[in-house]
Amino acid sequence: MSDKVLLSVEHVKTYFDVTKGPFSRKQIVKAVDDVSFTIKEGETYGLVGESGCGKSTLGRTLVQIYRATEGRICYKGRDISTLTQNDRKEFTREVQMIFQDPYASLNPRMTVGEIIKEPMEIHKILSTSREREERAAELLKTVGLKPDHIRRYPHEFSGGQRQRISIARTLALNPKFIICDEPISALDVSIQAQIINLLKEIQENMGISYLFVAHDLSMVNYISHRIGVMYLGHLVEEGDADEVYENPIHPYTKALLSAVPIPDPDKAREKKRIQLKGELPTPLNPPSGCPFKGRCPIATEACEETRPELKDYKGHKAACFRIQT
Amino acid sequence: MMTYTEQIEDSMFDKLEESEKDTEFIAMESKTYLKDAWDCFKKNRLALAGLIFLLFMVVLAVMVPVLSPYTYDSQNLDVRNALPSMAHPLGTDKLGRDILVRLMFGARISLMVGFVAAFLNLIIGVVYGGVSGFMGGKTDMVMMRIIDCIYSIPSMLYVILIMMVFGSNIGSVLLGICVSSWIGMARQVRTQVQTLKQQEFALAAYVIGAGKLRILFKHLIINCMGPIIVSTTLMVPEAIFTESFLAFIGIGISLPQASWGTLASEARSVIQSYPLQIVWPVLAICLTVLSLNFIGDGLGEALDPKNR
Repeated sequence: MSDKVLLSVEHVKTYFDVTKGPFSRKQIVKAVDDVSFTIKEGETYGLVGESGCGKSTLGRTLVQIYRATEGRICYKGRDISTLTQNDRKEFTREVQMIFQDPYASLNPRMTVGEIIKEPMEIHKILSTSREREERAAELLKTVGLKPDHIRRYPHEFSGGQRQRISIARTLALNPKFIICDEPISALDVSIQAQIINLLKEIQENMGISYLFVAHDLSMVNYISHRIGVMYLGHLVEEGDADEVYENPIHPYTKALLSAVPIPDPDKAREKKRIQLKGELPTPLNPPSGCPFKGRCPIATEACEETRPELKDYKGHKAACFRIQT
Repeated sequence: MMTYTEQIEDSMFDKLEESEKDTEFIAMESKTYLKDAWDCFKKNRLALAGLIFLLFMVVLAVMVPVLSPYTYDSQNLDVRNALPSMAHPLGTDKLGRDILVRLMFGARISLMVGFVAAFLNLIIGVVYGGVSGFMGGKTDMVMMRIIDCIYSIPSMLYVILIMMVFGSNIGSVLLGICVSSWIGMARQVRTQVQTLKQQEFALAAYVIGAGKLRILFKHLIINCMGPIIVSTTLMVPEAIFTESFLAFIGIGISLPQASWGTLASEARSVIQSYPLQIVWPVLAICLTVLSLNFIGDGLGEALDPKNR
């Protein structure tokens, strides 16, 4: 891990216009609302939050599946919204994505070999089909599958194996940065660990940076160097993984962490769970003031009025007015 | 409560032989998609019978006019309205022309109209619908409104207008049939593409840098090939039917050329004296259309992955 910033996200907002028909009231979903963070080379940044908080949308915005409504996303110092056709090709070669559902992310009509060779064909890596085939077989070995699986179809594999194929496809381009959009949430627990370890191993060998999106805090803590916690489109806490995990300061992070199961029943009994009241508000009409105020156990009147900004608390950023320093 | 006093020793265990290691490994034979579909299709007796009949018809249509001593327009007034005999297997018509040769000559035209129309519909419909569904937004809206405009004029009107301008030949019949019949295909493909483009494999293709054309054809359209092939198959009988109908009411290819529709129309004038003459073309139309429908159904079942 070096100190060079690979990707910086500056005040990014991704809004969706969900207005029905030309005569209805304008309705906008604020999926990602003013998020900023940076990722360094070789670093893993874990992004956690409950379903619908905008973490996947943010991941997809970074690879331009969705366009950011406002703000800047800079990859190696260049704003990715201003890339030319050629630069975009370069960008797609270096920035890759692993998707959540291994059953949906592989084209059912292509063989594993074709799937892995496709990015190489698009970017004209290696010259002959033969060489690409060999490289594909090599990649299959890297991700722990057998090279002779190359002629099989995705439906012949299990979820974990498919996710490995997905990883092989992203690795085909020797990327510098991979966005992992909940790559383990559709898998069995035993397989989750395998995939996580595979990702870790790849990072150590190839020096890739990850943005690791997930809702399982203990998994994220295991793989990440730094963690960001999202709530309703906002980043509410950010810091070094262990720091956030051991010593959370935002009330939402505290509640999230108290819900992480502990495999020791004695310890689990001692632990106090913070139960949150209410539901995640809809991003269609987000509340004014602090987004978390409706469910926060320590909210005061001050939280109603203005939205707290991310502030530094001893190398540990959080957006809350009620943090005592 | 029972207690086990017996110790479990290492010696009680045997090591597996090397050859037994993989005994639990069961793998289905890796079949390609087409092979799988063909196996499924073969199990459907009606569809298979339909396919055999159709091939038989095609062979006859090619061979009979070549091998027969008669041509489709050679008249022999000595044997007018003859019943089936060795010389004329299906008899002759009111001008003494051999019905078998005329029927098979008609098969050439009818089948050609059917297949060419279906093929043109396939190409136009898939490309139009695919682009419309994939682009979405304003492009999609404009393209769909154009379709609505075309669709709002009865197709019979197109055929008659085209006939007036280009004359009564097989080309104008084809053009007339194709002008509006690709619309169903385009709508179907558009809907499929719209749902498929949200799937993660399409997004994955975008993320690895695939261009629009590649995503559309290599990832989206190939995944709706099943329904596309089925509706193409069902479009063949539709086109044959339309052509026959047009020929029967007198719009279509000009005499003495024959399609099944014109044969039926001619035979109608002598239906009271020689009813057998109308049976042949009608039978040919019915059986061909029926077998194509069976093939379509069989393909629908065979190509639907949910049936595996």
